[in-house]
Amino acid sequence: MSNNAYVPGLEGIVASQTAISMVDGQNGRLIYQGYVIADLAEEMSFEEVAFLLWEGRLPNRSELDALSLELVGHRTLTQPASIALDALPKDTDPMDVLRSVVSVQGVEHRLAKPTVPLAIHATASFPTILAMFHRRKLGLPPIKPRADLGHAANYLYMLNGTEASPEIVRALNTYLVLLADHGMNASTFTARVIASTESDLTSALVGAIGALKGPAHGGAPAAVIEQLELIGTADNAERWLRDARKRKVKFMGFGHRIYRVYDPRAKILKEMCRRMNPKFYDLASKVEEVALQILHEEHPERPQSTNVEFYSAGVLQAIGLPKEYFTPTFAAGRVTGWSAHVLEQAANNRIIRPQSEYIGPEPRKPMPLAERG
Amino acid sequence: MGEFSPGLEGVVAAETAVSEVDGANGRLIYRGGYLIEDLVPVVSYEEAAYLLWHGELPNESELDALRQQMASARNLNKSGRGTLMAIDPGTDPMDVLRTVVSAQGASKTLAKPTLEEAIALTAVFPTIVGAAYRRRQGKDPLEPRDDLGHAANLLWMMEGKEPSAEKAHWVDTYLVLLADHGLNASTFAARVVASTGSDLTSCVVGAIAALKGPAHGGATLAARNMLDKVGSAANAEKWLTEAHARHERFSGFGHRVYRTYDPRAKILREIAKTAAPELHETAARTEELALKILHEAHPERPNATNVDFWASVVLTGAGIPKELFTTVFATSRVSGWTAHVLESLSDLRIIRPASRWIGPEPGKKPLQLAKR
Repeated sequence: MSNNAYVPGLEGIVASQTAISMVDGQNGRLIYQGYVIADLAEEMSFEEVAFLLWEGRLPNRSELDALSLELVGHRTLTQPASIALDALPKDTDPMDVLRSVVSVQGVEHRLAKPTVPLAIHATASFPTILAMFHRRKLGLPPIKPRADLGHAANYLYMLNGTEASPEIVRALNTYLVLLADHGMNASTFTARVIASTESDLTSALVGAIGALKGPAHGGAPAAVIEQLELIGTADNAERWLRDARKRKVKFMGFGHRIYRVYDPRAKILKEMCRRMNPKFYDLASKVEEVALQILHEEHPERPQSTNVEFYSAGVLQAIGLPKEYFTPTFAAGRVTGWSAHVLEQAANNRIIRPQSEYIGPEPRKPMPLAERG
Repeated sequence: MGEFSPGLEGVVAAETAVSEVDGANGRLIYRGGYLIEDLVPVVSYEEAAYLLWHGELPNESELDALRQQMASARNLNKSGRGTLMAIDPGTDPMDVLRTVVSAQGASKTLAKPTLEEAIALTAVFPTIVGAAYRRRQGKDPLEPRDDLGHAANLLWMMEGKEPSAEKAHWVDTYLVLLADHGLNASTFAARVVASTGSDLTSCVVGAIAALKGPAHGGATLAARNMLDKVGSAANAEKWLTEAHARHERFSGFGHRVYRTYDPRAKILREIAKTAAPELHETAARTEELALKILHEAHPERPNATNVDFWASVVLTGAGIPKELFTTVFATSRVSGWTAHVLESLSDLRIIRPASRWIGPEPGKKPLQLAKR
């Protein structure tokens, strides 16, 4: 029993000390290892940012080459993982595919401590799992990974069987960088709770995938598209949104516990959307304007900001990803942050075991089976 | 922002009626307000699971219905079976469990956790654990037996012969004792996953992943490994004195919550006398000396024996090999995990704590690759 008060959602409770990323909600800044996200997003490759999250500094040329080589070398699934992937029904949710196949890919005979090489291997496998399953669903043969392509380019190549344009590759790369880490979000926290028992890296990642799947976390970008499809046109936005509000329909892609100002990732994604997906942008920017207006009217005290998922949807659509691959692609970026947090947790560990407050009845005696009514 | 509390010690992260660990008084209370020592003599694992899910003990017809429902959900589906058979037989059984549960629960669309799913998941654990064990031995997995209770079916799935009533009873008691325990790390992991609106399989997979850690579910195996090293009651004094001098941690002692003897350890210690008389003798002598040494080293600490210590002896007596200990723990705890997830649905709020920044001052400019 504890004398402390229950804190719903652990809001405001400091659960970890971290040097990996910081969400500066007051100033709308996301920091990776000291760098502001806006300085990294369109300048750095996903590989460089992964190195930054794992090692705490940006790589030099030879370190980057070594990392790229290690990633390329682990893009192939193990035989058990390929068999397991084929054992799942073709209409399985890709997040469940990812959760299951990452679990198989990482099985071990003996418990191993989390390491950077293991983090690299896991990161390398995510696009392969997603691309293989996507093609299987379409009845297409799997595409072998291309050693000469970077992480983002290879993902698209394995999905489509053709090389994507530099603009598309760059957009996916930026998306992956933007989503790579974000403080103590629910999936990262799940990974740290699992790591705190001294469990292995794969276990922590599998748990994190499970958490990211939830619609209150990573499961929302597809819902943004679905809502925009319902709204249909910019002209219809005001009517649809006001009407939806009366029916207590939640606006998808708005609100965040931490940011008090515009999410810096959303800002970058919005600009990308404007360039790459004008049709989406015209509708989405109108919907955003009206939605923010309505939300402000309802709760003038609340900073109802557009969140990262809103414009993610448009960027991922422009990249050509089917909407059921939005959340798994989020995972393909976030796996770097998850594993960096696991390494940090393991380096200075204490089991995460909070308390609960009992709200059940006072102790009483059980009746034997025959005497129960 | 509040103070950093390492391990969230003392932070209240949930309200629950599923169970309460009253550490100060050494009491474990299960849903409905029952003390664990009152439940053990009167309930089977199925009744305990029903209690955790519903908040009331079942009557005879409710219990029959649950037993039937569980018996009919013991088979793996095609995904679960295909995945099981794809994995190398030498794989850590906890990894087999994590993976096969994930595949078994793979679904087309996101579903809200339900009691039916909780029952089905609980029912299938012994099938996976038994199959993992048999494949390690180069044997084929067996079909579950729908005429056996949960504990007896677990032993059947492992050995392919019907266990004695005594053995089944020991395992059943163990399963009742371990079914829930407040907001431990794996249960908390399940609740964090649930808080995002994710599905029940994801919650349970996350919980298995957390239970695997040696600081949590892996502790029963560690306790048994230590007893193996001690070897015999006669050797206990020598081994423990030397181990203490080497600063080796004694496995099976200490708990963050209990300030007195763990009530579950007390019950298991008693059963151990009959279940594994020889190992009991070694363990009893080890316990006596370990507590003495620990008390001398830290007189201020309540260094009581924990459940893992005596669980390792009872499971050994029931014929469960030590490499399966953590999976058998999971086989019990899955009812608690699912009960917590179902409870949390009534007031779902994403669990998203804060972190304290200890990195470099924000705002430094990245150098171009060529200049690094």
